[in-house]
Amino acid sequence: MPMASERTQASSGFSSTSRSEVLAESKSTTGATQVVAPLRVLLIDDDPDRIRQVEEGLSANAVVHTASRMHGRALLDQIANVGPDVIIMDCDSPDRDTIESLRMVAQSNPKPIVMFVDEEGSEHMNEAIDAGVSAYVIDGLTSKRVRPLIDTAIARFRQMDELRNELRKTKDDLAARKTIERAKGLLMQHHGMTEEQAFSSMRTMSQQQGKPLKDVAESVLTIVGMLAGTNTNMGDL
Amino acid sequence: MTRELKIGFVPLTDCATLAMAKERGTFLGRGLDVRLKRYGSWAAMRDALGAGTIDAAQMLSPMVVASSAGLGPFPGEFMTAFTLNLNGNAITVSSALFDLMSKRAPETVLRRPLSAYALKSVIDQRKEEGKPRLTFAHVFPHSMHAMELRYWLAAAGIDPSCDIDLVVIPPSLMVDALASGQIDGYCVGEPWNNAAVVAGIGRTVITSGEIWSNGPEKVLAVRKDWASKNHDIHLELLRALSETSAWIDEMDNRMTVAQAISTPDYVNAPFDEVVGSLTGKNRQTGGELRVDMPDFNVFHRYAANFPWRSHAKWILSQMIRWGEAPENVDVHHVAKTSFRTDIYSEAVKPLGVACPKSDEKMEGTHSHAWLLTEASRPVAMGPDCFMDGRVFDPSNVDAYVTGFAIRTRQNRLGESDTSQVSSLSV
Repeated sequence: MPMASERTQASSGFSSTSRSEVLAESKSTTGATQVVAPLRVLLIDDDPDRIRQVEEGLSANAVVHTASRMHGRALLDQIANVGPDVIIMDCDSPDRDTIESLRMVAQSNPKPIVMFVDEEGSEHMNEAIDAGVSAYVIDGLTSKRVRPLIDTAIARFRQMDELRNELRKTKDDLAARKTIERAKGLLMQHHGMTEEQAFSSMRTMSQQQGKPLKDVAESVLTIVGMLAGTNTNMGDL
Repeated sequence: MTRELKIGFVPLTDCATLAMAKERGTFLGRGLDVRLKRYGSWAAMRDALGAGTIDAAQMLSPMVVASSAGLGPFPGEFMTAFTLNLNGNAITVSSALFDLMSKRAPETVLRRPLSAYALKSVIDQRKEEGKPRLTFAHVFPHSMHAMELRYWLAAAGIDPSCDIDLVVIPPSLMVDALASGQIDGYCVGEPWNNAAVVAGIGRTVITSGEIWSNGPEKVLAVRKDWASKNHDIHLELLRALSETSAWIDEMDNRMTVAQAISTPDYVNAPFDEVVGSLTGKNRQTGGELRVDMPDFNVFHRYAANFPWRSHAKWILSQMIRWGEAPENVDVHHVAKTSFRTDIYSEAVKPLGVACPKSDEKMEGTHSHAWLLTEASRPVAMGPDCFMDGRVFDPSNVDAYVTGFAIRTRQNRLGESDTSQVSSLSV
């Protein structure tokens, strides 16, 4: 899954993003709370008042880009060009679905998103944060609130992202182990190998091809399964 | 005593059922004080439903299936017991592209339903000339629009994942994007196809009903936990919608509907643009033809409101086909938990609405009207055929998916792997 997001970024051609992420990483490891690199903010909004408020609130140490009346592909191109650290938009903007499609291509939320909500009964919206939105701004915006809101959103996004990655890794590890075990079993069953032979032949192949052991095991499963399918006696073994 | 409910809708002609149930007092008659809330995007409405800001929503049928299949936010939390309408979308290409298609393959352009062969020829030529890919738009990643567009393209040998670029654009901005040359074509609901035709910047080449006759479009989505806590309210809501659907389906009432929903409270579009899609009169298709399509929007007849599990399974089959859902997804479980035929049947029983007895049916076997006898009362049904003549057997989704030459392969096995592993087995 990280592959997909890498591909999206590469094809959009903003290599500078990874640099800022590295910067952010090193910050968090040294434990400093001050943001060193200027924050890149993309504001998807047509409302001049709100644009001004965000710009005022962020004037120090941030670059605010705006995407007004930009939709579909033009909007995606703008996101690629800016490579924002955070996206701010109106919850009811019709462009929301375009942003949503970006998220789906990357299989996970590629950017923290802060959304304005102008409706009553939305106090529960923050419960929907896992929906790929990092923060909902419910009761209006003032210049003073902009920076803390964005910092919180980014922090929360990182936290969620870490959790997601951890969960994914655990799941992947489990699945990989299962696949390797099954491939070993098949090789032992159908090709008279010992467990050790089965494992070492897969490991050799993995080293030769520079592929993860799990991928080799998957290939083994498919091919041996295919061969077994053509051989009528295999099913009985 | 009335019960307050908040229901989300989007400004499209198929919000008609919700709008008319409110305008005609049908909700109130069932003890429901409904407030309709308009949303500008599918994602925003989905989040509002998931967070409980609204109780129910006019949702894209694939969004409910996606939730049930564990895709995206709110995995497993949504369900539907009511299909709001069938058909209603169309594919429109820019006039310039249609001219090119007509020049490249004049013989295929005259046939209806119009296949994408002429488009394929244009795409092949562009590849040879080293020109950039054409861009097509739809309205949401999990939508019938995306599926219909891909189905149409792939049926002519165009691989939507590499032969063209696909992008999501809000419906109301489609026409502008087409006019400015940002995109070359799109699949969208009405009035946004008609608007491009009227403005002379696009040609509607095929309607969704010609790609798959009477496929499900919008559904009334609710949260599963809401439905179990508010079972009786849910039933009353479905009854109000069933009665309203039957009323809207009378062609004589469609003008009234068009008048009501073209107002700023609902679709907020000129009456002339809205009425065309509701009556289905004088619709453009095939790029040139003008025909009457009384089934362009189906709200009630043909057991339209019944949430067929075969519909959910077909949607899921396309998600598997395009790599959005894993191949090992439990198709039966997803269909059963997302499309609740049991709740629908319970709701309409006292209304005397004819209700199918089976939860699913073969899709693609009827190219003409037919009679469904396996029902509480025989129901006149419409065609359910696909443009390429395929048959979808809901009990064998695997075979259906593997039968498509063009699809996203989830098995990443290459030629070299095959030979490597073969050498292993010596």
